[in-house]
Amino acid sequence: MDPEIIARFAAAVGEKNCIREPEQLRTYESDGLASFRATPGIVVLPASTEEVSACVKIAREAGMPIVARGAGTGLSGGALPVAGCLLMGMARMRRVLQVDLDNAFMRVQPGVINLDVSKQIGPQGWYYAPDPSSQSVCTIGGNVAENSGGAHCLKYGFTVNHVLGVRIVLGDGAVIDLGGPVPDQPGYDLTGVVVGSEGMLGIVTEVVLRVLRKPEATRTFFATFPSTTEAGQAVSAIISSGIVPAAIEMMDRLAIVAAKAATGVDWPDVGAALLMDVDGPLAECEHTSASAIELARQCGSLEVRVPRDAAERELMWKGRKSAFAAVGRIARNYIVQDGVIPRSAIARVLEEIAQLTSRAGLRVANVFHAGDGNLHPLVLFDARVPGEEKLAEELAGQILRTCLRYGGSITGEHGVGADKAQYMPEMFSENDLETMGRLRCAFDPEARFNPGKMFPTPRLCGDKELSRT
Amino acid sequence: MRPASIEEAQQAVAQLAGARKRLLIVGGGTQLGLGGPAQFDERLETAGLNRIVEYAPSDQVVTVEAGVTLAALQKELAGNGQRLSLDPPLPERATLGGIIAANSFGPLRTRFGSVRDLIIGVSIVRADGARAKGGGKVVKTVAGFDLPKLMCGSLGTLGLIVTATFRVHPIPVARATLIAHGVRTADVFPLVRAIRTAQLEPAAMLATRRTHGSWDVTVRFEGFEAGVTQQREKLRALAPVEPAEWPQEAPSGALRLKVAALPTELEKVEAALPFAQSLSWLPTLGIGFAGAGAGALNAADTAGALEAARRSIQVVVESAPFPLDPWGPPTAALRLHKSVKARFDPDNLLAPGRFVGGI
Repeated sequence: MDPEIIARFAAAVGEKNCIREPEQLRTYESDGLASFRATPGIVVLPASTEEVSACVKIAREAGMPIVARGAGTGLSGGALPVAGCLLMGMARMRRVLQVDLDNAFMRVQPGVINLDVSKQIGPQGWYYAPDPSSQSVCTIGGNVAENSGGAHCLKYGFTVNHVLGVRIVLGDGAVIDLGGPVPDQPGYDLTGVVVGSEGMLGIVTEVVLRVLRKPEATRTFFATFPSTTEAGQAVSAIISSGIVPAAIEMMDRLAIVAAKAATGVDWPDVGAALLMDVDGPLAECEHTSASAIELARQCGSLEVRVPRDAAERELMWKGRKSAFAAVGRIARNYIVQDGVIPRSAIARVLEEIAQLTSRAGLRVANVFHAGDGNLHPLVLFDARVPGEEKLAEELAGQILRTCLRYGGSITGEHGVGADKAQYMPEMFSENDLETMGRLRCAFDPEARFNPGKMFPTPRLCGDKELSRT
Repeated sequence: MRPASIEEAQQAVAQLAGARKRLLIVGGGTQLGLGGPAQFDERLETAGLNRIVEYAPSDQVVTVEAGVTLAALQKELAGNGQRLSLDPPLPERATLGGIIAANSFGPLRTRFGSVRDLIIGVSIVRADGARAKGGGKVVKTVAGFDLPKLMCGSLGTLGLIVTATFRVHPIPVARATLIAHGVRTADVFPLVRAIRTAQLEPAAMLATRRTHGSWDVTVRFEGFEAGVTQQREKLRALAPVEPAEWPQEAPSGALRLKVAALPTELEKVEAALPFAQSLSWLPTLGIGFAGAGAGALNAADTAGALEAARRSIQVVVESAPFPLDPWGPPTAALRLHKSVKARFDPDNLLAPGRFVGGI
């Protein structure tokens, strides 16, 4: 890279916040999806909106693509660098700028860790609802990019439902505020567009979050079943009864085995288990948890466990939230898949996945958000066995296509990123993708931010496109 | 024109685009006063797009054509004990396409959010006549840019919404509505704070001004009997409330404004609108509606009063008996709004002049 450009980045963010050493750059070669790798040209760690804007301008003049990165926990390659790009790490922008609980919002920088938001306001009895499994390390900026979900999104919604506004730096370095704590700012809902845009529209440097008063009570139970069929029926029965669980999670036999091995939960060896939360006013919770337990029993539950205290409840959730990593205990390698199906099709789709799996001669552990039909099949393989990784990738792809066949989606919360761009044409028509591309062009006509993600083919924003009909 | 099917609608838009004719899209016509005066050559009414396309009660998801009225949809959903948790005014006339385009809402927004929080998929006919869709038919999807949210509040300036998919909810088994009379302006927000401190979770909360400085605050709880009873009793212990019916007051007055500020700023809102004869406010959200009859107003004074109000609060004109600046001064984001419009409607055919900043 041109030494003059390097010097300009160093002047913008400080020498020690520019990373150029090949050894150090390696840290940034991939995100949570380690099978995709590329080396950035330079990594900068800005500390303010002004520094972000300055770096964007330098990159633009140097013709460099820009990729933003939070904690690098993403599972779709959304923070995968483009070779030679400017990688902007947001880790130093981790200040909470404003807390206003009367007006139920917080203003934070993008490098703030998800769980730290709730920790900061927890003592006052408030919290931030979206809870991705990686919430103890992932950042709000990454959550905004991916529109992250989590177990409790079933009742409370996703990141997009909890972001009131953003400050964004555009490709020419301009700083624009979208939305804010006062509702319904006149204009298009561009906050809603930026959330989930996978870092392709600009760099978000401030986020206004909606925060919630904690519910009076939470009731949790863990129910075991002979197989995922009965567990799936229980989910349908509970939701059809008018209960809106805060979360309802399913694990199959293999996922239970892995969680036991990793966390020491004393779960029995059964075909499937549900972990469910209801929350709200105490009397409402008592009623809905008792009804849900009764429905689980009617659907063939083998055993229902209710945690004795908060510590036991926490252990149950730890078992669930560490399930992805836990699978490392029972398999050398695995692919985390993320697809969505209509909830009523859970039993049928799991059966199809089982058939595909046995045909491929592999193993799949299923752990997922059953309430909203968001599957996370974990395809296990051993990379040392020639051909097995390819088989696993094929199986993961077949699972996605099964989701689409049932009217579902190729991603419920992990994003498209580099990983699933190839599947977008199976979910969307050329017109659909071209229309989405128009949004990209409206924000970032030079396609500077995170190029190569989401869309299977690069899209140009020339005048020709603009006038095409 | 009133196309009878999506295909007809698509052909109509394509033909108009070919002829460079400007188009005003009309649903139930309940929000035509919103925004600046649009210039158009043709009106396209969506009333003929009135089919419920797909309803999967067990998945709590419904897809409708844009011209279906909210009342017709609610009737269909009620057959399965479900509802769309959205209660804007005039449900017999308001269409789902129009509700999305105008971002219409009612007091249930307190708990369930606005249409952006309930829509999961959309399909549109673009200004050039091409069909495109975004989102999906499942309650959770993050594949692609969020076209459904882009359509919310876009007022027919980016495309013709032809179908939309929503998440629906069970109709609550039990409800209780309580009212506190004569709450002073300064005491409305403290009531919100007390309700939160007590961890009550109203489905809806609405403050309606009765006389200057004095409000009726209505609170609705929904859920199962046990929870509703508990919350009702707790609220009684917090404030002097009595059982009530939910106030069914459609907006009225020749001048109607949508106002917004922080929830704690109701006093500021009231002070900013000395000309308002009616005022209602969703106190947990910081958004409300003001109205005044034509007799009380003249154009010059109202324009001046509006400009003054906008120095302290956000005001959008929903309807006015004379021309007023509908949106107020634009922010730096106008650049992006214009850029989005230029990409979606490069020939400026969809309701030009109606949207923010003259879009």
